[in-house]
Amino acid sequence: MSERIGAVPATYMGEGSGPRAWLLTTDHKRVAWLYLVALTVFFFLGGAMAVLIRVELATPAGDLVSDDAYDRLFSIHGIIMVWFFLVPSIPATLGNFLLPLMIGARDLAFPRLNLASWYVFIFGSGFTLYSVIAGGVDTGWTFYTPFSTMFSNSYVSAAAFGVFIVGFSTIMTGINFIVTVHKLRAPGLTWFRLPIFVWTMYATALVMVLATPVLAASLILIVLERVFGIGVFDPGLGGDPLLFQHLFWFYSHPAVYIMILPGMGVVSEILPCFSRRPLFGYTAVALSSMAIAIFGFLVWGHHMFVSGQSAYAGLVFSFLSYCVAIPSAIKVFNWSLTLRKGEIAFETSMLYALGFLGLFTFGGLAGLFLAALAVDVHVHDTYFVVAHFHYIMVGGMVTAFMAGIHFWWPKITGRMYSETWGRIAAIVTFLGFNLTFFPQYVLGFLGMPRRYHAYPPEFAFWHILSSAGAVVLALGYLMPLFSLGWSLFRGPRAPDNPWRATGLEWKTTSPPPPHNFDETPVVDGPPYRYPLAEDGA
Amino acid sequence: MNEVRRLAAAYVGLLALLALTVASAFVDLGGFNSAANLAIAAAKAALIAVLFMQLPRQGVLPRLVVVAVALWLAILFALTLAG
Amino acid sequence: MSGAVESEAFRDAERERQADAFGMWIFIGSEAMLFGAVMLVYLTARMAHPEGFGEASSRLSLLLGTVNTAVLITSSLAMALADLLVKLGRRRAAAWALAATALLGLAFLAVKGVEYADEVREGLAPVLGLPFAFEGADPRGAQLFFELYFASTGLHAAHLIGGLAAIATVLATWRRSTDAACLRRTRAVGLYWHFVDIVWVFLFPLLYLVHR
Repeated sequence: MSERIGAVPATYMGEGSGPRAWLLTTDHKRVAWLYLVALTVFFFLGGAMAVLIRVELATPAGDLVSDDAYDRLFSIHGIIMVWFFLVPSIPATLGNFLLPLMIGARDLAFPRLNLASWYVFIFGSGFTLYSVIAGGVDTGWTFYTPFSTMFSNSYVSAAAFGVFIVGFSTIMTGINFIVTVHKLRAPGLTWFRLPIFVWTMYATALVMVLATPVLAASLILIVLERVFGIGVFDPGLGGDPLLFQHLFWFYSHPAVYIMILPGMGVVSEILPCFSRRPLFGYTAVALSSMAIAIFGFLVWGHHMFVSGQSAYAGLVFSFLSYCVAIPSAIKVFNWSLTLRKGEIAFETSMLYALGFLGLFTFGGLAGLFLAALAVDVHVHDTYFVVAHFHYIMVGGMVTAFMAGIHFWWPKITGRMYSETWGRIAAIVTFLGFNLTFFPQYVLGFLGMPRRYHAYPPEFAFWHILSSAGAVVLALGYLMPLFSLGWSLFRGPRAPDNPWRATGLEWKTTSPPPPHNFDETPVVDGPPYRYPLAEDGA
Repeated sequence: MNEVRRLAAAYVGLLALLALTVASAFVDLGGFNSAANLAIAAAKAALIAVLFMQLPRQGVLPRLVVVAVALWLAILFALTLAG
Repeated sequence: MSGAVESEAFRDAERERQADAFGMWIFIGSEAMLFGAVMLVYLTARMAHPEGFGEASSRLSLLLGTVNTAVLITSSLAMALADLLVKLGRRRAAAWALAATALLGLAFLAVKGVEYADEVREGLAPVLGLPFAFEGADPRGAQLFFELYFASTGLHAAHLIGGLAAIATVLATWRRSTDAACLRRTRAVGLYWHFVDIVWVFLFPLLYLVHR
């Protein structure tokens, strides 16, 4: 981008200030900020619950909170982290900000729908927060019937209804992303020239619109039963409580792909940049993203192996679960091969991305154990499962979120942060994470069940390690809050392309002007054209 | 004019199918009744989609949506009922 | 008929029209998943209680259900006419067609209300704690049928009310909207309305025509 002589160019951050300009904005970049603020609040709220849980679990006796209170703690932790942080995280922040930029568009297809989605999110999550403040919900984030419909005395309807509302925010985002990628690509930007981040946003959006309505159905049936007495899951009437699990997991398994695909997209942008190598096997990575989205819908029964579904169904779901691992494995191989013979630079975002590579793989391998019927019978509802999904969601997804925030921070804010503090935080997080969650694999295998706060003393050693790790992990997550926040006010100004990365977003100013590009860019070649000419021989 | 005639034809067709489906309720065909009713409902839906919603004229993308949703509902039904 | 674009992102009105329609199709696709899930619940219940469902279904008013189906089909015709009229530039007539659609939708709700009142009076409404009394071979199955009947028709009615609200909003801003905006909005609301009709087209035989 050419230098402007004289005044600082107008950016999306400067144009129009005050609450109205932000709360009534239709600029996708500002909507991304609205989401970022809300999501950060929810992350630390859910994190506070986690700290309380780990403090309780540091001792074998259930002495910090009562049984009932503990049920509410882990339920709220799960609900907040899954629906009010992980599901929207990268799509609503980085996706909102970057998708139009990456395809050379001026905004998403439906800017007002975008703003509306944020308000729907706030309204829905507010509903659930009300239920938390009023006393919470004790069903677990999974709301299983018939406990949730017939026996729980907690605020199930309010919590479920809040999540139901937030689901519509997800669907709105999904519709926006799908139409945007189809209709607003710059001239010359064919599908197979798109950055992988765009492919993963698209795949994520497909899952969002196909899966979330089924969650909506399952939750609204819970509310109908509790509020209107319409008991369709009531076994006393011949209803089938297991049917709830089918509907719930039909959404919730693809939901984990809603959560991880964007992280895979982020990492696919960062690894090539800091190896100065093109992404290995671009087509395979793009198509495997779609394969994950599609295959992810075929495996939900693996959450129900011991629920009483037929053995035949268990067989089918087990086989399909092994199949769904294949596209993820393809990506891991391609990411690893991207690094080969590269000139690796260990910037903060690269450290996070490398951490993702290791931790996601490790968590994914545990998934292979869980897909085996016989093994699952032993470890179902134990800490083995807890470790598995935290390795993927926290070690994978949250790490990728950190990677992406650090990678695109200069573009989003026009400021550079301290690399030293960034790297320290990345390493502290990695160490803290492993100390927290690796012992949980052991615990699960030894038989420690989920959702219990009192346990036999022989498990204490591993729990103490895990709780100690949680302290380190919390520190690791607090550090970027300060270093990035500091950079907003005192960080040096960022150039247009500090990492010398490819991608249309780097061809505009940092931060971008309100309409993203002065002229619509034209694309004439594939992405990831590393090493660039200026990299030298 | 042509367009109005198409809409009128669709309307008459829909009402005729409605009459058919209600009439079939008075004839006992065993299990075939349900299948027939669902088939008639599908025919009505197709009429609405093609003639009222003008699905064929909207390009390939909406048709892909319809196919995808049909496929995904099939997955939901098939794998749940297998359990 | 071209016209100004409404969204920041588009420079081409035709592209924006396509995008709007595509977006609405995806939305109704997602709603189809929602209703499909509810119908799956209904199907599994029916497979478990074929006799109870058959007996219970015969207690619904076939006459009112048929009338209502015809009313909704007619409303779809009115909506399709509105779309045609806007395309031809006849905005006043189109507005009347939209109003007719809404009126027919209200008529549907009124008939549904009558049905609900009858069912409550006959003790066939196991909702909100109301007493349920059914004499037949499978009262539990019958109760499950009626619960699913109220859940699914209630959900459908909620969507219909949403459609009415959308039509009202479009009509309220009709006069000061451009031709392109009127066309776009009529198209979008129309797709949604026809979808609500399609849902009922499936609900009707599933609920009212269960063979014993």
